[in-house]
Amino acid sequence: MPKMITEQNLRALIDLLVKEGSRVVGPKAAGTMTLYEPLAAGEELVLTELPRRSAKEAFFPLCETILTYAKGEEGVQVNDIDPARFPETVLVAVRPCDAAAPGILDAVFSWDYDDQFYQERRKKTAIIGLACTKADDACFCTAVGLSPAETQGSDLFLTPLSGGGFRVEAVTEKGEKLLARYSQLFGEAGSAQPLPPAEPGGEKLELARIKAWLDANFESPLWQEIADRCAGCGACAFLCPACHCFDINDEGTEAKGARRKSWDACGFAKFTNHASGHNPRDAQNKRYRNRLMHKFKYYDDKFGKHLCTGCGRCVRACPVGIDIKAVLDEINSK
Amino acid sequence: MSPGPCESPMRPQPYVVRGVRRETHDVFTLELEPAGDAAPLAFGPGQFTMLYAFGMGEVPISISGDPAGNTMLVHTIRAVGTVTRALERCRKGDVLGVRGPFGTCWPVDEAAGKDVVLAAGGIGLAPLRSVMYRLLARRERYGRIALLYGTRTPEDIVYRDELEEWRGRLDLNVQVTVDRAGSDWRGNVGAVTTLLPRAEFDPANTVAMFCGPEVMMRFTMLALMKRGLQAEQMYLSMERNMKCGIGLCGHCQLGPFFICKDGPVFPYDRVKWLFGREEI
Repeated sequence: MPKMITEQNLRALIDLLVKEGSRVVGPKAAGTMTLYEPLAAGEELVLTELPRRSAKEAFFPLCETILTYAKGEEGVQVNDIDPARFPETVLVAVRPCDAAAPGILDAVFSWDYDDQFYQERRKKTAIIGLACTKADDACFCTAVGLSPAETQGSDLFLTPLSGGGFRVEAVTEKGEKLLARYSQLFGEAGSAQPLPPAEPGGEKLELARIKAWLDANFESPLWQEIADRCAGCGACAFLCPACHCFDINDEGTEAKGARRKSWDACGFAKFTNHASGHNPRDAQNKRYRNRLMHKFKYYDDKFGKHLCTGCGRCVRACPVGIDIKAVLDEINSK
Repeated sequence: MSPGPCESPMRPQPYVVRGVRRETHDVFTLELEPAGDAAPLAFGPGQFTMLYAFGMGEVPISISGDPAGNTMLVHTIRAVGTVTRALERCRKGDVLGVRGPFGTCWPVDEAAGKDVVLAAGGIGLAPLRSVMYRLLARRERYGRIALLYGTRTPEDIVYRDELEEWRGRLDLNVQVTVDRAGSDWRGNVGAVTTLLPRAEFDPANTVAMFCGPEVMMRFTMLALMKRGLQAEQMYLSMERNMKCGIGLCGHCQLGPFFICKDGPVFPYDRVKWLFGREEI
């Protein structure tokens, strides 16, 4: 029999997990925004809004220290951050567009060398996904092959029921375990009907066709047309669930300090800059082209996936109104 | 050929500066030894390390020493930015961080039984010097060896003593050229390609390796193709801004490749579709 959980019990589950020492991360009011942040209690969970930033920071934080160093009498002491200390984490109420992202990022963060920080968090995290019952004009998950009811990427998946509460589906073994361990909070779904999934607008994109166009159009007037507007602010990359580029920088002095890893964006002018002053991508159209090529061609060439889940955050946030979906539609129609 | 993956790829290991040598007004060579009793770094010619001036930052620098188990890690560096200028200030006894070795190697073993043409531009001679050591250690394995080196001015010639020594050998063809020179220069003036007519090799049985500015490598390749070499006989080393060194951070992306991991040494036929498009 399918299971269900009431909203009250979902919040109680969070309370219980927190009490047991897990880190529970979910949508939470943070100033004027909703963000995926650690929850202190179930009542903090916000179920009405897509968080401003994606859930990737639960695995790949905006900025984190990767080691510290100190010079002493006996040379330099390098102190590692031990990923084994990262807590067991449950990510709650993750939208399908966010839940799908780790499955995409796993490829680059383990294709040769493992990103230990990412991998350890990934291993220790269970994802409770939540189906979307409403979409806005920027949503386009269905156009890139996902859907508001997509369970892939989640361990446990919640679908809102018409009479309140959620239908619960275990997608993976991790999900089964959560269900079994906290069985007292779950009931039988009975005949309760799920709410219909959201219907994001927008034409479906033929990603193979788009890739074929990208393969053939490294040079195209399109890049300049887009870049004439692009401000190079990087907001799209910072909000994207699938952008994986990062910078490594130093905080401190020669004697003592920390190395930190922080998000970066290929739209930034200095992203490819050499110390000599030579900059291989020295104009915004080249940088925007790289962004699109990386997402829909290069990543596909290398890993057979595309770096986009259709969450629409970049479309909502772009200060100059660049709509990646519109760009892809245009390519799709060529 | 290439050593296995680096064990703690994100952790700079402390190395002590044991030697500093001025090559030119802006190029210097550091000899580094692992701090404590750590083993010397095993590497293949063509590989690089991320060299770290604590508190200042890291730079990818190719290894220019002898791959045959020398205890010293040798790096030749041009002082152009904040980090390389900090490295330039290093003195004996200073401690630097080293991550690596990273990246792909020159096809030195694959070149056995063949003629070898090495073409270097400027500081691009550094990673090819490791190749020279490897070739000379097993000289009998190879056919004719030509080293063609071009740099800006006579004052910019690096490894001058070694070049002169190699030039004196009867089993090597070493040619040097400069872009411009004063009237006291008796050597060649012109691009590296002007040296090619003096290099003898069997086009059907040659491996060529290049490292230098992309424009220099492009013209060298075109010239060698005119001499009958095929794309798959040519290898080149590419350069981009790098941060992680292990194919994660995206900085060195060149089309579908991460230069730090898929390169820096590429067979030309793998990258020729994007070569010459400097903006990638």
